[in-house]
Amino acid sequence: MKRKILELIIIILFYCLSVTLGRVIELGGIKPNMLIVLPILFGYLNGSNEGMFVGFFSGLIYDIFISTIVGFSPLVFSILGYISGLFFQKYEKSEIIIPLIIVAFGDIIYEFLSYIGNFLLHNRLNVLYFVKRFMIPEMIYTVLFFVLLFKPIVLINPLLSGKKKRRVSYFDERDN
Amino acid sequence: MLKKISSFFTSKYILILVVLLCSALIVASFFTDKLVAPVRNIVSTLVMPIQDGMNYIGLWVSDGYEKIQEATKILEENQSLKSKVDELTEENNKLKQDTYELNRLRELYKLDESYANYAKVGARIIGTSSDNWYSTFTINKGSDDGIAVNMNVIADGGLVGIVTSVGKNYATVKSIIEDGSFVSGQLIDTGDKCTVQGNIDLMDSGMIRIQHFKHSVTVRNGDKIVTSNISDRYLPGILIGYTKDVSLDSNNLTQSGYLIPAVDFGHLQEVLVITQLKEVGE
Repeated sequence: MKRKILELIIIILFYCLSVTLGRVIELGGIKPNMLIVLPILFGYLNGSNEGMFVGFFSGLIYDIFISTIVGFSPLVFSILGYISGLFFQKYEKSEIIIPLIIVAFGDIIYEFLSYIGNFLLHNRLNVLYFVKRFMIPEMIYTVLFFVLLFKPIVLINPLLSGKKKRRVSYFDERDN
Repeated sequence: MLKKISSFFTSKYILILVVLLCSALIVASFFTDKLVAPVRNIVSTLVMPIQDGMNYIGLWVSDGYEKIQEATKILEENQSLKSKVDELTEENNKLKQDTYELNRLRELYKLDESYANYAKVGARIIGTSSDNWYSTFTINKGSDDGIAVNMNVIADGGLVGIVTSVGKNYATVKSIIEDGSFVSGQLIDTGDKCTVQGNIDLMDSGMIRIQHFKHSVTVRNGDKIVTSNISDRYLPGILIGYTKDVSLDSNNLTQSGYLIPAVDFGHLQEVLVITQLKEVGE
């Protein structure tokens, strides 16, 4: 329970960071997608359930404030959290390549879906322009952001659930 | 018992549940805003103060950084600027005369007056949309300060956008440069109508599209476009921007071109919300 609350606080913090700090660090009008990183990281470090939990709420907070259609981001984020949870405990925790690949593909897919919803259905057919100008740069920037974030989150992660329960929850969290 | 329940909640089932829940939310959000509004208000009371503070820190840091960067540049510039002062003093005298003329013309148009008569509320921008598709931003005044949906937002004497949703202590503003935003405008001198449309393809050039001029209208570069009196959401006579490269369309019926907004959207920090709504006769 304590862990979930702390995760919610982290999500809110990241949301605030992305809407305020985003303006400062944007390059050529492109900001990293900070919220998509969280479910993938937490899913990879703690399993699918946790990834979906973080994904659902980080998507929700994003949608209720910014997007008009509520539910799309939680959907994509939770599925990404689930997918990255499949690799939970299959690799060393410090192995960065697996979640990095998921971040890269996940961000592209998420952006492409929002392109379809926002633009393609409004008869904006110049896909290449959108891919080159928005999706690829954002993906690269997000991956960069993820690399910077990886180590701190790996270090913080065990602290979130308190030290005592660590060994027990190790078995509880394995779900299949 | 508890064991049984928890064994049922394996991640596969949870995933299916989440997917179903999200799909239901998506479908619901096409029809109504009622489900989300209470959640939005609760979360916003928590989030907005944090956002306000962080925004302040962020601006402070970036300002400081820019100051250091520019200090050396300024010293160099100072030299060349001194020589320019003389030149400009002379030009200033000339411009002062122009200003008198401008004031006379403004009175003629009664445009300035209608601007000043609107009741306005100042607000600070505390967040921008965190993805790259939208040009939406959040301001730190909400329904508690008398802000309502469809109120016009201006800055630097030009139109910024329109309020699209309101919470207790924040409001979301959709800017006119956002893709899919339409504003009905007119030429300031002749009153010929046109449509100003935000366009993401032109984001790099800082311009937006302007279209639907009648083919007979003459539009020169730099003509002023203001919001038209037939718009149902925008108050009349607010400056939108200046025309550029308007030419005849291939259908020979309409003209279209580009518009340079009067507002510098890259460096917006404070905006004014006009608390008067356009009255539309039903």
